[in-house]
Amino acid sequence: MQANFSVYRKEPGAGSKAGRSTYTVELPEDATVIDALLKIRDEQDPTLGFRGSCLHGYCGDCTVRINGKAGFSCAVKVAPLAAKGGEIAVEPIRNMPVIKDLISDWDTFLWDKIDVIKPWLEPNGAASLDGEELIDDKVMAKVRQAMSCFYCGLCDEGCTVLPVDFKFVGPAALTKASRFLCDPRDHATAERLRILERPKGMWDCVHCFEASEHCPREIAPTERIIEMRDMAFKHGITNEKVARHHHSFANSVRNSGWLDEGRLAIESEGLTNIKGLMKLLPTAAKAVARGKAPIPFLHHKRPGADKIARIIEKAEAKEK
Amino acid sequence: MQEFDVVVVGAGAAGLRAAIAAKQAGAKVALLTKVHPLRTNSGLAQAGINAPLGPDDSPEAYAGDILQAGDGLCDPAVVQNFTHQAGDAVMWLERAGTPFNRAAGGRFDRRRIGSNSRARSLYVDDRTGHVVMQVLYEQFQRERIPLFADWFVTSLALEANRCVGVNALGLRSGSMDSFAAKAVILATGGFTRMYLPSTVSMGTTGDGQNLAYQAGVSLIDLEMVQFHPLACPGGKGLMITEAALAEGGQIVVAGGQPIAGLQGATRDKICLAIAQASRNGAGGVWLDLTMIGRQKLHQRLPQTLDLIAKVAGLDPAKDLIPIGPVAHRPVGGIEAGTSGQTSIGGLYACGECACTGLNGGGRLAGNILTEMVVFGARTGEAAAAYAKSAPAAAFPAGRLDEEKKRLDALISAEKTEYTAGRIHAELGALMDAKAGLLRDAAGLQAARDQIHALKDKYARLRVKNQSPIYNYELVSYLELGAMLNVAEALVAAAAARKESRGAHRRSDFPARDDRIGISHTVVRLVQGEPQVDTRPVVAL
Ligand code: SF4
Repeated sequence: MQANFSVYRKEPGAGSKAGRSTYTVELPEDATVIDALLKIRDEQDPTLGFRGSCLHGYCGDCTVRINGKAGFSCAVKVAPLAAKGGEIAVEPIRNMPVIKDLISDWDTFLWDKIDVIKPWLEPNGAASLDGEELIDDKVMAKVRQAMSCFYCGLCDEGCTVLPVDFKFVGPAALTKASRFLCDPRDHATAERLRILERPKGMWDCVHCFEASEHCPREIAPTERIIEMRDMAFKHGITNEKVARHHHSFANSVRNSGWLDEGRLAIESEGLTNIKGLMKLLPTAAKAVARGKAPIPFLHHKRPGADKIARIIEKAEAKEK
Repeated sequence: MQEFDVVVVGAGAAGLRAAIAAKQAGAKVALLTKVHPLRTNSGLAQAGINAPLGPDDSPEAYAGDILQAGDGLCDPAVVQNFTHQAGDAVMWLERAGTPFNRAAGGRFDRRRIGSNSRARSLYVDDRTGHVVMQVLYEQFQRERIPLFADWFVTSLALEANRCVGVNALGLRSGSMDSFAAKAVILATGGFTRMYLPSTVSMGTTGDGQNLAYQAGVSLIDLEMVQFHPLACPGGKGLMITEAALAEGGQIVVAGGQPIAGLQGATRDKICLAIAQASRNGAGGVWLDLTMIGRQKLHQRLPQTLDLIAKVAGLDPAKDLIPIGPVAHRPVGGIEAGTSGQTSIGGLYACGECACTGLNGGGRLAGNILTEMVVFGARTGEAAAAYAKSAPAAAFPAGRLDEEKKRLDALISAEKTEYTAGRIHAELGALMDAKAGLLRDAAGLQAARDQIHALKDKYARLRVKNQSPIYNYELVSYLELGAMLNVAEALVAAAAARKESRGAHRRSDFPARDDRIGISHTVVRLVQGEPQVDTRPVVAL
């Protein structure tokens, strides 16, 4: 079969402009996209840069975008794409800096981010040196599921925060953190949660669920992030802005039956955080000018507030 | 130039374990690897990791199974020593956080795979290697060992029969550097990419074996190449774990009739039975997993289910999966002692690139990961101890410049009639046909001649890509050179062993022949040619 490819190209270096190269290749019927790339590099263009390792879909090294859809170039067959006619577009995945052509910078994209979340077990010392530690398989299954992650980066490529803030640690690294937090053999839970609550950590996730949608391993990174946040509350690790926001939110609804937005803004910044509060002033002034200011001391209970408070109480009791 | 006590080359399970052990023994360590640790071929190991930890098991029983699979070619002292350390080495992994599957009551669950006489393989679903690699990498990160990922080692620095470091090409920077070290550990993995099709990753090209061989170290039992019986040709050598058989799968011929006598058989026997059945006009051989049921498949073999669907386009809950033997792992390799020591001072080897005499003619299923962590740890410790006591040796001046010139000379815009890819494709087909599952004298002679011809073409081949950064054309070129050299040595070894034993099957010498003496095949490079010798196996 003959197939036409249009491949993203970029020379290394900050100033270089990206472009495209087109190639026509003769391929066997069962060829995958990486077969095509290998053939192009061998026969037509030795300068073409791309990664790949296992060739059988389990290592995650060759993730690229093929016709706009992220996947593994070793697992995507060419034939159905070629049958549609036109060019098959191959590009680097989104949200990752490109070094050269399809070779992205996994260091800054993922490996360095994993490095900051304390990515190793701190044994709790419960097991004797030679004895087996008895652990329910259901508990282990959750750890195994997290560790089935093959660092393909698809969750990070689908993430909606990373395009606006590349410093966000991202769902893949957070999944790695979750692997330790759900492991009963680890004893560093509090320390881990304190690392995760730092800026650019778990509270920067906007739970858009794109990560879970994109993950080919059903690891559910978003659900895991939410779970870790809950864990932080349970451990009383709530001095971070978003945690304060959650607290203020819940308190307001509990007390008045609805949201006190003025108080929410102030309490989220922190009552002693003068710098943060100053930042609110321009927004507050604009709101006042337009008659839309939520003035905290004017906030009053809404009808039915008692019922709402009881719902919250019940939900919290169930949680416990 | 960078200076370390111990430099480890290769970031699979053996390399990571060695680096961790060397660091914990007090050495200043660096690890160089052409591919990130979590993308290495060690992730291919799926079914489990052996350790004689069960109440019905013992190091002696375990040793018995290893000796059986090795078909008379194991060194019994090495085996005994290994089986006594395997339990601790695997428990170390558990303590470091490997989430092994548990049985009711929370104890380790164990699988009985391949020719193990007991359920002895601890496992993590069907991705044991993948998860063990993560745990090893976690511990590696904890030790804060400098990682030079995307670095390709181009040569060893030798000085008076001692290895004092390596020269390497940084793919990302596009520049060469030298790494002085008192001890160098080769942990570069196997070489079966010289066969096509093959189950292994692209980088499994015998780089370490070639470095050692060129330096004058012997390669042992190279003719012993394990084929994997459950590879799916539709998935281009996609390997299906033997755990699939442990979970109830069956190997069947047309009409769904199972091939008899494969329960608990060694890999080479299963491979031969499949090849035999295909030749007998069975119309093909299939793996039948349908009786396991979708739910159990999802639970017990999630990765297998997923890969067969994505890579081979089949549904194991409904479809029979066509299978055949495909080149998988070498059993032989760099001659190394149980602490990884080689015949060159300061040069060590461990893991799949090394041959310690543990596996003899065939590796017991479930042993590869155990072997990597046991010998990885020991080699790391030994290299650190050597580095502590070894006298200082200067990195040979000018060696880096010589190496840069050598590589520069390879790059030329001149057109050649051949490409590296085509030479590789020819080599792969040749090895599969003539030095594959079944061999004979005429075929091996033809293989030898054709490898010579390919080496001639290779000598005229040039690298056209002038751009230094991520020059994968250059990397492929160097890998191909390693494969050609090791293939030549392998074919010489296979021609010399005139019997069938372990993974080495000769149609012209179909039986095991103990009268000719039970010996290892030893290949050494003498004046540019492989020279084959034998070394008797030492009985206990
Ligand atoms: S969590 Fe899923 S999507 Fe994200 S890197 Fe891991 S396997 Fe890929």
